[in-house]
Amino acid sequence: RSSTHIRAQGRVDAPQASSTMARRYDSHTTTFSPEGRLYQVEYAMEAISHAGAAVGVRTDHGVVLAAEKKILSKLLETGTSSEKMHKLDDHLGVAVAGINSDANILINSARLTAQRYLMTYQEPVPMEQLVQTLCDQKQGYTQYGGLRPFGVSFLFGGWDKNCGFQLYQSDPSGNYAGWMATAIGANATAAQAILKTEYKEGMTLLEAKQLATKVLKQTMDSTKLEAEKVEMSEVGWVNAETKENVEYRVLQTKELTALCDEANAEAEAKAAAGKK
Amino acid sequence: RAGGAAPESERVTKMSIMSYNGAAIIAMCGKECVAIASDLRFGINQQQTTAVDMKKIYKIHDHLYVGLSGLATDQATLAQRFKFRHNMYELRESRKMRPETFANLVSTVLYEKRFGPYYAEPIVAGLDATNGYKPFITGMDLIGAMAPTDNFVVCGNNEESLFGVCESMYKPDLEPEELFEVIAQCILAGVNRDCLSGWGGVVHVISKDKVITRTLKGRMD
Repeated sequence: RSSTHIRAQGRVDAPQASSTMARRYDSHTTTFSPEGRLYQVEYAMEAISHAGAAVGVRTDHGVVLAAEKKILSKLLETGTSSEKMHKLDDHLGVAVAGINSDANILINSARLTAQRYLMTYQEPVPMEQLVQTLCDQKQGYTQYGGLRPFGVSFLFGGWDKNCGFQLYQSDPSGNYAGWMATAIGANATAAQAILKTEYKEGMTLLEAKQLATKVLKQTMDSTKLEAEKVEMSEVGWVNAETKENVEYRVLQTKELTALCDEANAEAEAKAAAGKK
Repeated sequence: RAGGAAPESERVTKMSIMSYNGAAIIAMCGKECVAIASDLRFGINQQQTTAVDMKKIYKIHDHLYVGLSGLATDQATLAQRFKFRHNMYELRESRKMRPETFANLVSTVLYEKRFGPYYAEPIVAGLDATNGYKPFITGMDLIGAMAPTDNFVVCGNNEESLFGVCESMYKPDLEPEELFEVIAQCILAGVNRDCLSGWGGVVHVISKDKVITRTLKGRMD
């Protein structure tokens, strides 16, 4: 018997599981249920649906990642580290939704993968390869070892020479897909619905940032969006004219405040117009 | 066998692996600046000169450069390994490495191969941004023994010559332009008596707000 056998009695929020059947099969990550599901993977996704939302929007000029911060205490030392956004390499950043300690393991692994590729080939790692390597690692925890899966979903934003700017999403099962715009974490389905209607081809990077801010505002609990509650990063050209180098950059408070104010004003105008 | 020289096939030549490719590197401390210079020769099996633009000094970040002499394949591989390690450090710490910290990393990486070493001798040169951009230079042997100093360090095939020219021309607290003159003359003069280094040179002068890189035209022989 695997040492990770856990009694799941008393679970009330098992996603659409029949009351007794699920409990017998959800303890071992590496076994299928009779309905052909991997319950531990689904429970991991359930954990992520309680985490702060993250939104990604891809354009031909760059990729924007925006996220809602969950830890907002004034006592928190902010410093240089970020809660949701992490740099993987000069041309690649990632937004996290889920268990942060799980995320840190994978982020370190991704960074090492990127550097090993750079060392061997003397060029930056192509995005999909990095995403795939990381997802293969996540998949391993659903098939071997009897260890629980990572409770993290990622939004990868970056650039490579072959495919330009790209946005990928991955989940605890190890599945990944490339997106034009997507969301993970709390209210992700609502966010994706908004993105589906509002996303346009040929957006500028600024329009993408405005869209991401708008989507976050509508899916977060608060009525007014504040810069302290949001993190945003982008991967874009250092110089839009020469297009020589891309860089991953976390947005400064000033820029965030401007975007939040804009989104708040737009929402207020819409509400006022609606009342008339 | 009665008298006479042994046939060529029986004569064995012994050559140091460190002299296979050829190199000469100098680093010097100035007033709020450091300079690092190298020659540009790349030879194979000592005799053939195969390239005259061989990179031996690598930028780690704006205020940190590392120069490596010795076997070319080892020096290039080591430079790539150091870049890897520095990139990981920068991702974790969200800041760049101090020169002294980097030098210790270099030393550790070399010592890990104590009983099967990389045939390369590095020189680290940089400015410590956490300490008023104080100049830092150090040389090392191939297994990582550091020798930090506040004047100059040399490495390469013709160390004695290099030491000699530096000893006579070096003065402390030189301004960047003066330091450039001194180190450029030293590297050009130092490689003249060595057939394994030369064929031009490159100098980087690193100050707080800029790095000036110049290629030197020397005797191409």
